[in-house]
Amino acid sequence: MTLQTPVLEVQDLRTAFVTARGMLQAVDGVSFRLERGQILAIVGESGSGKSVLSRSILGLLPRGAETSATAQVLLNGQDLTRLPERQLRRLRGRRASMIFQDPMTSLNPTLSIGAQIVEVLVFHMGLAKAAARARAAELLRSVGLPEPGLQLDRYPHQLSGGMRQRVAIAIALACEPDLLIADEPTTALDVTVQAEILDLLRREVRERQMSMILITHDMGIVAGHADEVAVMYAGRIVERAPVRPLFAQTRMPYTRALLDSIPQLSAPAHGRLEAIGGRPPDLVEPPPGCSFEPRCRFATARCRADAPPLQGDGVHSFACWHPLR
Amino acid sequence: MPYLMRRLQRLLIVLLVVTFSTFLLVSVLPGDAAYQIGGMDASPEEIEAIREDLGLNSPVILRYLSWVAGLIQGDWGTSLLTGESVWDALVERVPVSMQLMVMAQIMALTLAIPAGIIGAWRPDGPADRALTAVGFACVSMPGFMTAILLIYYVSLHLGWLPATGYEPMSAGLWANLKPMILPALSLALVEWTALMRTLRAEMISTLQENYISLARAKGMGTLRILLVHALRPSGFSTITILGLQVARLLGGAIILEQIFGIPGIGRLLVHAVYTRDLVVIQGCVTFFALTYVAVNFLVDLAYAWLDPRVREARSHG
Repeated sequence: MTLQTPVLEVQDLRTAFVTARGMLQAVDGVSFRLERGQILAIVGESGSGKSVLSRSILGLLPRGAETSATAQVLLNGQDLTRLPERQLRRLRGRRASMIFQDPMTSLNPTLSIGAQIVEVLVFHMGLAKAAARARAAELLRSVGLPEPGLQLDRYPHQLSGGMRQRVAIAIALACEPDLLIADEPTTALDVTVQAEILDLLRREVRERQMSMILITHDMGIVAGHADEVAVMYAGRIVERAPVRPLFAQTRMPYTRALLDSIPQLSAPAHGRLEAIGGRPPDLVEPPPGCSFEPRCRFATARCRADAPPLQGDGVHSFACWHPLR
Repeated sequence: MPYLMRRLQRLLIVLLVVTFSTFLLVSVLPGDAAYQIGGMDASPEEIEAIREDLGLNSPVILRYLSWVAGLIQGDWGTSLLTGESVWDALVERVPVSMQLMVMAQIMALTLAIPAGIIGAWRPDGPADRALTAVGFACVSMPGFMTAILLIYYVSLHLGWLPATGYEPMSAGLWANLKPMILPALSLALVEWTALMRTLRAEMISTLQENYISLARAKGMGTLRILLVHALRPSGFSTITILGLQVARLLGGAIILEQIFGIPGIGRLLVHAVYTRDLVVIQGCVTFFALTYVAVNFLVDLAYAWLDPRVREARSHG
């Protein structure tokens, strides 16, 4: 079974932005595999490059951003970085789709909900308008919208944030893709709605045998909703492991710090909340050594001079010269 | 309903302010219609008699009020000089100006929409730069210059279209359209640049929106994203400008109507000002104010058509 082609295999992905000060290396040599049916959480602070990574996978970078020529993004074994735009479009929304952070702004305010779902079905599945509408209503029902037939003719502003994110999920699921990339899908939502949306996503992914990349800055939601976790810092993956070992035997000090910054119910009231001191490094002129070194309690001269590679036993890998025990 | 009431209230205020200030302005101008009627050789006594006859001697405010009273009863008055009904004069000329304006704006939009979209698609790209350069060249040239150049090349040199003249619709559609093409084009070439630049600017910011990213993530092509996803939300400023232009063009085509010999309302107004034909001037000005308000109303309706959120807000009062 291990010989099966992974749904997604990313090799040495590097994405840089042209800025006035020089090249900003937002994603700096990221590699990972995602097996069918798995949910991989990519966790990191804002600016760690996790969103750019997700957009690089589908070639959805803004102008001024470039992915290195040596990078490979294999979706079902097919290298997306070598595909011409026309063929890439056939895959976007069909084999791999995305959900964005802010449902208030990710739906077109001037198009009805129905139109926004129907166009995907017409373009990718070649459905006729009427059939596509029926299918769209079905999708809305499956993501938990009441009266799906009526919702089709409504506009985004008439729905709540949670409802809109359900619509976005319906759009993403419309063509039954192999891969779903959810970029902070619940960050803009109320806490109660967050849990509903995450549960919905997990259920849909499991039922449809899809794989999902769940991008988040919130370690708190990782445990219950992902199989594996990759922690990103300054454009690199610094620790990667299945959820349980990551929480049980954290090796990378940065991951530890992220976990410590989750408020604990068991902690005494009005206690001090652990925060990570300092700020992420400048990505235009990154330090030569470990990028977490300036903020790390365990840093030594070696950390300043040499960047640690990501290595491990194939299950749990980390990039640190002085891993925690 | 309160929405319509508010609009109507505003219309009344605009009408009163505009007509009264015009009345006042024309009254303080040296010379009046009596001189025109009496002619150069008329004695002061004769002039005075004509004035008395026309009622020009009563105070401005009384004359204004009696004009308003007439208007309320549907009487737009008669020309001081010819005795012709102002209403008839307007009915005869307004459609001509209206046709010129509509044709000009259709041409301007035909140029501006594709050009604006292309510019927003690749800002500062070669196509955008070229279109912007052409646009600014057009807007820098006064309409009458453009008109003369067009007459020279298209009429005299190529002989494709007549240089002047006007044919009513009854002479046939093409006969009617043919002499209107060059004047409309002269107007359009001045107006399209502002529309293009406005659409371009608004569309550039629309293309940064998250829903455009989502449309790309859905696999939609560039053309579909530009036309279906981005064009509508980018239309607000363009429609506002379009409305302002329409109001201005209706009266502002005076010079072009003159050059191309088109019997529109612009010519009527200029003639009335020369002869101090106050009643005709008032008629024209009232008509302009009405169009201005009507066009703004249409622009408001267009907002609602563009954006469902506006529709909703309005129906809730």
